[in-house]
Amino acid sequence: MMSIAKPLLDYAKLLKRQKGLTQSFSAFKRLMKYHTRYSWFVVAIAILAVIRSILFSLEPLYTTFIIINVIGPPSNTSLLPGYLLVIILAGIGYAISNFVLTFVHGVMSQYIVRDIRTEYYRSLQGKSFSFFGSVGVGDLTSRATVDLQMVDSFLRTWLGTLLNAVLTTIIIIVIILPISPIMTLISLTTMPFIFYFTTRLWINTMPLFRNMQLILGRLSSYIQQNIIGMKTVRIFRREKDVIDGFKEVENIYVNTAINAGKIQSIYMPLGPAILTLGIALVYVYAGYTLGIPGSALAVAQVGDIILFARYMMRLTFPIRDLSQTLGTWIAAYAGLERVLEMTDAPRNVEDLPDAKDTTIEKGKLELESVTFGYVKDRPVLNNVTFTVQPGEKIAILGATGSGKSSLIYLIPRFYDIQAGTIRIDGTDIREFKLASLRRQIGVVLQDVFLFSGTIRENIAFGKPEASMDEIVQAAKAARIHDFIESLPRGYDTLVGERGITLSGGQKQRMTIARALVGNPRILIMDDSLSFVDAKTEQEIQSAIEEATKTRTTLIIAQRFSTIKTAEKILVLENGSVAEFGTHDELIAKNGVYKKVYETQFVQKAAPILEEGDGV
Amino acid sequence: MSGSYGTFSTKQEEKRKRTVPDRVLIGRVFDYAQAHRRSLIIGISATVAGALTGLASPYMHAIAIDRIITPKNVAGFIWWIPLFAAIILGNYVFQYIQTYQMRVVGEKVVAKMRDDMMEKLQVISLRYFSEGETGRIISRPTNDANTVRIFLRLGLTSILVDVSSILGAFAIMFYLDLRLSLLAITVLPVAIVLVWYLGKYSRAAYRRTLITTSGLTARMQEDLAGIKVTQAYAQEKETEKKFLKSQDENVKATIRAILIGSSYTPFVIGLRLIGTMIILFYGVNAVLTGTITLGILVAFTEYQFSYFMPLVDLVTMYDQYQSAMSAIERMFDLIDTRVEVVDALPERSIALP
Repeated sequence: MMSIAKPLLDYAKLLKRQKGLTQSFSAFKRLMKYHTRYSWFVVAIAILAVIRSILFSLEPLYTTFIIINVIGPPSNTSLLPGYLLVIILAGIGYAISNFVLTFVHGVMSQYIVRDIRTEYYRSLQGKSFSFFGSVGVGDLTSRATVDLQMVDSFLRTWLGTLLNAVLTTIIIIVIILPISPIMTLISLTTMPFIFYFTTRLWINTMPLFRNMQLILGRLSSYIQQNIIGMKTVRIFRREKDVIDGFKEVENIYVNTAINAGKIQSIYMPLGPAILTLGIALVYVYAGYTLGIPGSALAVAQVGDIILFARYMMRLTFPIRDLSQTLGTWIAAYAGLERVLEMTDAPRNVEDLPDAKDTTIEKGKLELESVTFGYVKDRPVLNNVTFTVQPGEKIAILGATGSGKSSLIYLIPRFYDIQAGTIRIDGTDIREFKLASLRRQIGVVLQDVFLFSGTIRENIAFGKPEASMDEIVQAAKAARIHDFIESLPRGYDTLVGERGITLSGGQKQRMTIARALVGNPRILIMDDSLSFVDAKTEQEIQSAIEEATKTRTTLIIAQRFSTIKTAEKILVLENGSVAEFGTHDELIAKNGVYKKVYETQFVQKAAPILEEGDGV
Repeated sequence: MSGSYGTFSTKQEEKRKRTVPDRVLIGRVFDYAQAHRRSLIIGISATVAGALTGLASPYMHAIAIDRIITPKNVAGFIWWIPLFAAIILGNYVFQYIQTYQMRVVGEKVVAKMRDDMMEKLQVISLRYFSEGETGRIISRPTNDANTVRIFLRLGLTSILVDVSSILGAFAIMFYLDLRLSLLAITVLPVAIVLVWYLGKYSRAAYRRTLITTSGLTARMQEDLAGIKVTQAYAQEKETEKKFLKSQDENVKATIRAILIGSSYTPFVIGLRLIGTMIILFYGVNAVLTGTITLGILVAFTEYQFSYFMPLVDLVTMYDQYQSAMSAIERMFDLIDTRVEVVDALPERSIALP
C-alpha cells in the first residue's frame, strides 16, 4: 500500500544527494545585501570590535608586567597600584565596549530579520490562489518565525565574532612577536591545523544540518496536516499509515542528527586541544633554550613564558566562538533558504504599467474565447465565450473539475487567462488596477473565512471606512441582521478564535454581507455549501436573492432554488460551455441541463424540504 | 481585527503555571532515557570527566612554572610534557564521547516522545481537535519537541559542564591555597545576587518577547488563512499595516530583551575584575613574602576566569531550563490524554451470555 508519508520520504531521500556548499555562499551574499541598509551599524560594530579586542588582550600583558616588574627579581611593589589600575580600566572599557557591541549587533539583527520577514510577507500577499493550494499555512508561518529565528541567532553575533577572532589573533601576535619571534612561530604552527579542522567540520556537517533543518520543516507540516485532517484520517482508518510514515521519516532525521553529532564530536573539541598542545610546544622550546646557558630565554624572564601560555589560552575563546557561529550559520542558512524560496517564487498576477482606477458603472461582463490552465498546455477552461448583461444573474452548473471555480476566479483576476479577453463595461480587466477591480467585485468564496475580530469589522472588511448604516444595510440584505441584533453585544460581538462560534449558515451569510458592503455592481459567489438544514437553506436562499437582485452575478449553484431564480444558466463540461440560456430554453433544448434537472433536482429537492419541515 | 486577538490562547499558554513538579517531569524523561541507559551513563561520566580534565590545564601550568621554569629544572619537562599531552588527549576524548553520546540520547528520547504523541493523536477523541485548538496541539509535537531537543543537546550538557567546572575549580583553588581562595570568592555572593536580580528582569523581558512572538505567529497564521479574502477585497495594504504593527511590537520587545540580557556582562566582568584585583593584590604580596608560589598565583587568575563564566552561563541557562520543563509538561499532557473511544468489541463479546 502506498504510504501517506511517501512524498515526505522521497523528499528526505532526495536531500541526501544534494550538496549545500555553493548555495550556502550565495545565501550568504544575499544576506549581506540586507546589511547594506545598515552600513552604519556595521561600521560601529567594526570600531567597537577593534576596541574590544585590544582591551581584551591587555590583562595578561599587565599581569605579566606585574610578574616581571613587581615580583621581579628585583621586586618593586610601588608599581603594583598603577598596573592594577590599567587592568581595571581596560576591563571596564572591555565590558562597556562589549555591551554596546552586543546591543548594536542585536538591534541590527532585529532590523534585518524584520526586513526579510516584511519582504516575505509582502511577496505572499501577491501570490496566487494556486500557490496557497500547494503550500500549507502552517508551513508558511513557520518559515517566517522558526526559520527566521535561526537567521536571527546567526545575525546577532556573526560579525562581532568573526572580527573578534581575526583581531584578537592579530593583536596577540603583535604582542608576543617582539618577546620571542621563534616562540611566536612555534605557537602559530597550530593555527593552520585549527583552520583546517574547522573547515573540515564545516564542510562535513553543513549538508547534514541543512538536511535536518529541511526535513524538520517538512515533518512539522506533515504533523500539521495530520492534525488538521484528523477527521479524514479516522474516517478512512489511515492511522497506522500516518504513524508508520512518520516514524520512518523521523528515523531518517534522527540518524542524520546522530551522524552530524558524530562528525561534530570528532572535530569540535579538536581546535582547543590543538591550541593547548601548541602551549606544550612552547614549553618544549623554552625548556630546550633554558638548558643552554646564556641563551636568550635563560636571560629572559619567567614572566615571558607565562605570558605566552596565557595568551595561547586566551586564543581558545575566540576560536571556540567562531566555530559556534559557523554552527549557527548552517541552521541560519537552511532557514534563510526556506524563506527566500517562497519570497522568490513568482508572483503571477500584477498590475500592468498603464493600469487605471476605473469605476464600474453598469456591470456588463463579457468573456471572449477565454482559455485558462494552471499548468501550461493543460487548459482547465477552453475557449469560453458568453456575455452577461448588467444586473443579470447567471447560475453556473457543472461536475467537479469542470472549471466552475476557475471560471469565476478569473473575473477579479485571481488568475490571469492565457488567451482571450474578459471585459467589464467594455474595458479589458487587465486595464484596471488590480485593487480597483477587486474592490468593485463582491466575492463570496466557498470557504467561509472570518477574521478574529468583531462582526462589524468582519462585515466592513472590504471597506474599513464603511459607515454603521452601510454595515447594517448589508447585514439586512444578507439576512443576518436579526441574528446579530439578538447577540448581547450586537455588532461588537467577537468572532473567530477568541469569540463565539458561528454555524456554517451564519458564516455564509456573514460573508455575503461582507461582499455587499461596498455595494458592488458585480457579484461572484461560490454557493457550494452543502449539508445544511432546510431552515438555513431558506435563509441563505433569501439572502442570495436579495443580494443578487440588482447586481450582475455569477453564482456556482448546487441547489435548484438558486438556479430557479437565475436569469440564465451556464452549463460547463470539461472546461467548455455546453449550454447557455434560460431555464425554459435549456429544458426545450433537451440536453445536459434537462438531464441534470430531472435526475438531480426534481427528485431530490422535495424530500429534503420535507425532512426540513420536521425539524 | 486589531492587535492581539489571535494571541489569546498562546498567551494563556505562556502564562500558565506549571502544576507538575520538576522532579516528576525529569523522572519521566529519565524513563524514556532508560532504553539508552548505557549511552546516558557514559555520556554523563564523560561530561564530568571532560570538565575536570579541562580544569587540570591551569594547574599543570602552575606546576610548570613552579617546578620547572622558575628553578630552571629543564629535566622536569621530560615528565611534564607527556603528562600535559595526556591530559589534553583525555580531555579531547571525553569531550568527543560526551558530545556523541548525549546527542544520541537527546535525539532518540525526543523522537520516542514525538512518536508517542503522534500515536496518541491518532486515537484520542476528535473533540480534542475542535476549532481554535489545532494550533496549540500542533505546537506540542513540533515547537515543544524542538525546545526539548535543543535543551537536551546543548542545555543539559552545559549545565553538567558548568556545575562540574565550578565545583572542580573551587576544589582545586581551596587545595592550592585556602586564604587566597576565600579572598577570591568574596565577590561570589555579590555576583550571584546581581546576576539573579538582573536575571529576573531579563526573564520578564524574554517572556514578553515570547508573547509578542506568539502574537506575530498568530497574526501571520490568520492573515495567510484569510489571504483569499484579503486578496478578493484588495485589502493587502490594510492587513499588512496590522502585521507590521504586530511585528514592530515583537522587534521592540526583542531589542529590549537584548538590552537587558547584554547588560549582565559588564557587571559580571566588573565583579570578576574586582576578584582578580584582590587575587593580584594579596597574591603579589604573598609571593613576595614566600607564602605562595608564582605558579599558584597565575593558576588562581586562570581559575577565577574558569568559574566565573560557567556561573553566568548557568544563570542564563535557567530560562532554557524553565521553557524546556514547560514544553516537557505539555508533551506529557498530550501523551497522557485519556482515550475516550476505544474499540468496544472485546468488551461487548464478554458481556454476551
